[in-house]
Amino acid sequence: MTYPSKVATLLLALALSIALVACGDDGSDADTAATTTGANATTTTGDQETKQKPAPVVPTIVIRDGAPVGGVAELDYNAGDQIRFTVRSDVADEVHVHGYDLAKGVPAGGSVSFSFPADIEGIFEVELEERVEQIAEITVNP
Amino acid sequence: MSFWLPTAHALLARSDLPIPAWLFAWGASIVLIVSFFALSAGWRTPRFERDHWRPLGAGLSRVLISRPVQAICGAIGIFLLGLAVYAGLEGTEAPDRNFALTFLFVTCWLGFPLFSVVFGDVFRPFNPWRAVGRAVGGGFALIAGQRSAHLSYPEALGRWPAAVGLLAFVWLEIVYGASGGIAVGLSPHPAAVAALVYTLYTLTMMALFGVEKWCQTGEVFSVYFGMFARLGSFAFDDEGRLGRRRPLAAATTWATVPGSLAVVIASIATTVYDGAQEGAFKGAITQVFEWFADAGIGLTTSLRLSATIFMLISFCGVALVYLIGVRGMASVKGAPPLAKLRSGFAHTLIPIAFAYLVAHYFSLFVFQEQAQFTYLLSDPLGTATTDLFGTASGGIDFKLLSANAIWYVQVGALVIGHVIGLVLAHDRATACWGDYRQAARSQYWMLAVMVAFTCFGMYLLSVANA
Repeated sequence: MTYPSKVATLLLALALSIALVACGDDGSDADTAATTTGANATTTTGDQETKQKPAPVVPTIVIRDGAPVGGVAELDYNAGDQIRFTVRSDVADEVHVHGYDLAKGVPAGGSVSFSFPADIEGIFEVELEERVEQIAEITVNP
Repeated sequence: MSFWLPTAHALLARSDLPIPAWLFAWGASIVLIVSFFALSAGWRTPRFERDHWRPLGAGLSRVLISRPVQAICGAIGIFLLGLAVYAGLEGTEAPDRNFALTFLFVTCWLGFPLFSVVFGDVFRPFNPWRAVGRAVGGGFALIAGQRSAHLSYPEALGRWPAAVGLLAFVWLEIVYGASGGIAVGLSPHPAAVAALVYTLYTLTMMALFGVEKWCQTGEVFSVYFGMFARLGSFAFDDEGRLGRRRPLAAATTWATVPGSLAVVIASIATTVYDGAQEGAFKGAITQVFEWFADAGIGLTTSLRLSATIFMLISFCGVALVYLIGVRGMASVKGAPPLAKLRSGFAHTLIPIAFAYLVAHYFSLFVFQEQAQFTYLLSDPLGTATTDLFGTASGGIDFKLLSANAIWYVQVGALVIGHVIGLVLAHDRATACWGDYRQAARSQYWMLAVMVAFTCFGMYLLSVANA
């Protein structure tokens, strides 16, 4: 390898490393942002910003006219956590948690609660089965 | 507006988590270190270009190409295609409960590339269209007493029909299945209809140009799976003898047919698009979709249009990166003509294409094959009334793979694909340039191309589903 080309390749490597570090930072920022907005969007009762371990507020997904209020709710958990959420709906349908394959009916104007251990890692849809309408996305991190 | 793109394949209930930043950084660092090592430790004469094909046992060859074995394999292929079409037409419209979609788009589409790399071109004997074509051709010869005459295939067209067909197939799989502005994924019925249309088209082309000629150039699946078979070491020679050679050696002669570059670029681009639509392109696709929708175009058409545009952008982007690399190599002293360089390095992208496939579809394949061999096998129509093999109540164990296992396979595949791509490119350069020093210099360009593809692949994984 000639000297100038060595310099060029080293510069390339440097540029890539910087880009990588930048990307890495982006990634973790986005993660935390997503988690907080997820909790806010889905928690209708808890508006207190808690930095210490909060008493587990069970997020409620409100369904109006067959669609989730505030868009698809994002629920983040770590493997081993207990996944808890409630769906309050103005239409009768079946709430289906994909992957975990849990399904419970909800009557019009009623609500249904889920509680199960987060023992499969990945990203899962929660859907109103009959309307084929996604209402939440559950993320289980390792 | 109720709009979203599917977080993953419509088939699958579990999507992969994005790879974490630390793994991205490690993967990319390893890629760079390996690449610089490759530059300094390269060999000086081609090792794969002039490798000899060595026959394996003659008895085994005779059995494998014997008429009964060929007929049985062909019949199995025809039966399975027929079953998939039947299930698609008559079975449930629930994509995950119907045999058709998983069999065509997962078991075959993802399974054959894998098996082709390991065992050679295994699709060829099971190719249902080839089997029908050969049977019809044989029947014709028997009755007419002469072999059927064919048009001469325009050689300049080469593998272009396969490249276009490849894009069309993936377009059908991941773009066409939109409804009311929602990418719900392809349903079984249209998939079955598409399979019938493709069958008609393929048999017509085989009648016009000859069965083997069309399999080499235009039949999408023969060309696509055959490309991956070139990475492995088993192959039949022209006289139908089974043999083996150094792995990767067969890849060096793959791209001599025109249009081959388009095939390998299409195969990378379609995987790029499928990965990017879940993350990197998601916002942009939504934006373009909204423009179309606001302009008064129907929601379904708008979504198909915007997705099609980004699929074509992926194709052009992949092509551009490669062509810049070729252009750069051409500037090195003693370079062969540009056209020769362009096709000359096309085969170095095959391992990248394979690595992208593994990275994006590994978990889908592992999970969905459990469905294939349990309830989809016993209850192909998804009617919940049949249980052919007693496995209809089986299901997918989503705990089989941890997130970490998936991540390591994904990044590992990209890194290994990168290394193999570099090896092939270096080998070709030593054959193109008589002077070793110039050959090494030309490889800075291919190195940049490979690093770009590999790091972009990892980037896609890091933002997928995020």
